[in-house]
Amino acid sequence: MSDGGGECGREDEQDARRESGSDDFGRAISKIAVAQMCESVGFQSSRQSALEALSDIAIRYIRDLGKAARFYANLAGRTHCNVFDIIQGLEDLGSPQGFAGASDVDSCFVVSGTVRDITRYVSWAEEIPFARPVPRFPIIRNRKSIPSFVQIGENPPGKHISPWLPAFPDPHTYIHTPVWNDRETDPRTDKIEQARQRRKAERSLLSLQQRLACNGSATTAQVDPADDVKLKRVADGNQFLAPPMQLGEKDVSPVVLPVQLANDLVVENQISVLETFAPAIEAAKSGVCEPGDAGRTTLPNKRPTVHFKFGIGKKSLGVPLDLSLHSMSVGKTTAWFGKDEEKDDKKRRAEQILKECMENSQELAQL
Amino acid sequence: MMNQNQPPSDGRHDDDSALADFLASLMDYTPTIPDELVEHYVAKSGFQCPDVRLIRLVAVATQKFISEVATDALQQCKARQSAAVKDKRDKQQKQDKRLILTMEDLSKALHEYGVNVKRQEYFADSPSAGIDPASREE
Repeated sequence: MSDGGGECGREDEQDARRESGSDDFGRAISKIAVAQMCESVGFQSSRQSALEALSDIAIRYIRDLGKAARFYANLAGRTHCNVFDIIQGLEDLGSPQGFAGASDVDSCFVVSGTVRDITRYVSWAEEIPFARPVPRFPIIRNRKSIPSFVQIGENPPGKHISPWLPAFPDPHTYIHTPVWNDRETDPRTDKIEQARQRRKAERSLLSLQQRLACNGSATTAQVDPADDVKLKRVADGNQFLAPPMQLGEKDVSPVVLPVQLANDLVVENQISVLETFAPAIEAAKSGVCEPGDAGRTTLPNKRPTVHFKFGIGKKSLGVPLDLSLHSMSVGKTTAWFGKDEEKDDKKRRAEQILKECMENSQELAQL
Repeated sequence: MMNQNQPPSDGRHDDDSALADFLASLMDYTPTIPDELVEHYVAKSGFQCPDVRLIRLVAVATQKFISEVATDALQQCKARQSAAVKDKRDKQQKQDKRLILTMEDLSKALHEYGVNVKRQEYFADSPSAGIDPASREE
């Protein structure tokens, strides 16, 4: 229905748009009813938009009729509508079309032309009941109300507040309260973790010492660093971080000559382990003779030992160590190689490592 | 609302009874628009009435209105088809035998009832769609 000039028409449109979301059920039913009516009139099919428009108009007609009837009832000082209110509403809505007796001023509503038209319509129109059973709608859901003080079991703050009133919201909903992590068992788990790490370190060092003990053969000091570096390389934990090993480098069999050169570098020049890797390997490959290359006669029969460099920020061998390497090497016992020919230096280093390991695990646990 | 000028006469009594009979007959007649739908929308507009007959009255009135609109739209559609048939008597005639309710017919029919329904003629992707390429470049 077009309202006067469309001034309030826009509001109605917006209302309709806003209500259309919740009103889908009613609109769908109206669509079905209107489609049935069109079919009875003679249409074989209809466009979707036309059907929707017509169903929308039907709903609006119902609402307008109800509005008019209510208006007339209120005008007469009543809240409940009766048949005459509806007849008056019908006359209002039908006046643009016109009906018999519209111009009569004194006519009674009982003989209103609109009613006659409807009577006539009912008599000749065939009865088409609605296609489906329609449930009562809208369904009213019971909303969860805010529980009262009594229901919660709280005492209302203040005597002026009755206990049957709804309870206040929790303070965290309107006050920014600091949030603490519940860590009641954390110190315990921390200690457990600490002990576990310590045990792991002890275990690895124990096995190291065992191997030290069972390995009776001694080798040159130069060989040790060879093993050292090799082990360091592996012990740097993440093999992906270490530079890629060239072919023939990681030989288990006694082919350590090129590596020994690099070891020399590490031991004597005290360069960082990482730095030694790439140039050492290249030097080894190219066969460059490093200074201080004493004659290597003895080659290790067994695999070189693995040395873990522990200590955050501590230079155990004067070599700058990465924290990342340490964190990865903590508790790692899988990269151990069989080592033999350990000398006193090795043992000293092992003890140092053990000390640092203990401190390291403590530090890590405290973090 | 009843006219007090007229003395109660048999005529009016008949009219009263006619109305009462009509309302009673409504209970036998099942309108196409279901009662629940009418009750819902009528309640939304503030209509308060526990009487079912009045609900039926509203439903029947709406049904009458819609059927009138549909009838007018059908006449529009038929008129258009006959006009088209006059021009060409080809397979178009067979195609248009189907009566389809379209927005054009509906808007023409509703115009007489005071309802202005306008349909979009076309939808464009952008404001410059369909313009001559010469002017578009500008």
